[in-house]
Amino acid sequence: MKKKFIKRISPTKLNLWDKFKSGERKLASFDLEITARCNNNCRHCYINLSADDKVAEGKELNFKQIKDIAGQAVDLGALWCLITGGEPLLRKDFFDIYIYLKKKGLLVSVFTNATLVTKKHVDLFKKYPPDDIEVTVYGVTQAIYDKVTRMPGSFSAFTNGVKLLLNNGIKVRFKAMVLRSNVNRLPQIARFCRARTKDYFRFDPFLRLRLDGNLQRNKDIQSERLSPQEIISIEQQDSERFQEMEINCNKLIVSESEHLGGSHLFRCGAGNKRCYISYDGYFRLCPSLWHPDCMYDLKKAKLKEAWDKFALEVRDMRSNKEEFLKKCGKCRIINLCMGCPAHSYLETGELDSPVEYFCKVAHARASLLNYGIPLN
Amino acid sequence: MDLNSVYVPSKNVVARLVQGEFIVIPITDGIGDSGDGIFTLNETGRAIWDKLDGKSNLKEIVDCLASEFNIPTSEIKDDILGLVKELLKMKILVKV
Repeated sequence: MKKKFIKRISPTKLNLWDKFKSGERKLASFDLEITARCNNNCRHCYINLSADDKVAEGKELNFKQIKDIAGQAVDLGALWCLITGGEPLLRKDFFDIYIYLKKKGLLVSVFTNATLVTKKHVDLFKKYPPDDIEVTVYGVTQAIYDKVTRMPGSFSAFTNGVKLLLNNGIKVRFKAMVLRSNVNRLPQIARFCRARTKDYFRFDPFLRLRLDGNLQRNKDIQSERLSPQEIISIEQQDSERFQEMEINCNKLIVSESEHLGGSHLFRCGAGNKRCYISYDGYFRLCPSLWHPDCMYDLKKAKLKEAWDKFALEVRDMRSNKEEFLKKCGKCRIINLCMGCPAHSYLETGELDSPVEYFCKVAHARASLLNYGIPLN
Repeated sequence: MDLNSVYVPSKNVVARLVQGEFIVIPITDGIGDSGDGIFTLNETGRAIWDKLDGKSNLKEIVDCLASEFNIPTSEIKDDILGLVKELLKMKILVKV
């Protein structure tokens, strides 16, 4: 009988991911935000700076610095890398960065709005296949798309980019941000995405505030947020998403007897298997965590120090604020909530201040799942 | 297959040890048959892989592994040739 020494397997099916999940804390993946600049100017975006913002461009990690940090991540055992932005295709050295990461043996994914995709990108992705390409869809008509992006002509660029990718056999996962400007067209957006996505479609109704704290832009974002009732309504209409929420109810809602409670700020998995590298070279536990005490400058220090020591210090941060301890500290539906230290900081300037809007959304979702818990 | 031939992993793949698993990751399209994914080698496969360094020919590799594992060359030769053939077919290995 012929012996089998080698087999082909999907990395997620391989017990590798399970090993990462169940084993000791180890870096499995990292997000590389290669720019904060974008050619769109979306109403809801928490990060985008203008494509021709020279100051922002000047702060971006250069190719040499990216190579260095990615090399350190590989040495720590990382297998997955997500290239994100801003719009990553804006970088003139995108090709160099992408190929370098591939050649380091990373499974590379790219988040893009697809508006800048050219035949050259198609050729690149054909020759060096990405693990995933995710494209966000803001609308499926020019009126809605361009309204969200505030960039005339962006819908046309988006459709051209998507066609280029799909017609050349590049598999894409589609997703959508849902905001006031496009919520009425969500069914059409979902249909468009489901008909083209490589596997599944997901939407995100949670709009986070700006990392740079821009007051006018924050007002724009707040005005685009859906009400809690609207959020649960669209979640309920998406049978796939709703069924998943129902199935995972027991994981999302903690019973009173199981509740760990306490003063720890971080209840999520941030910094356990994954980290985030900002465009200006700061190590962070997640894309939203922008508090100065939670960022570590990789232009001056090594990723290993950040991962082995600093990340643990951040994860161990605690609150002694009564409001936090009474509300979030005891909340059984925290897993249904967008609230977390990162988002609290963006909303209130403090890591441990509860945010009423998030609270209301979480409680509305809990009611929908028949786990109504009175608001504190 | 010529036992005097020398083989080396293709520049289009990267071999890595991740979480104790020895994996071979394709960089470019056209590695292996169609489909996404990465390759994993078992312990024996890895022992053979480690010898495919672009310097030793297959006969030397057979002799070396037979001596290392203290088994007759006749027992290990087919395993080595079988894996090399498979890796060549998948374009994971190239002839020097």
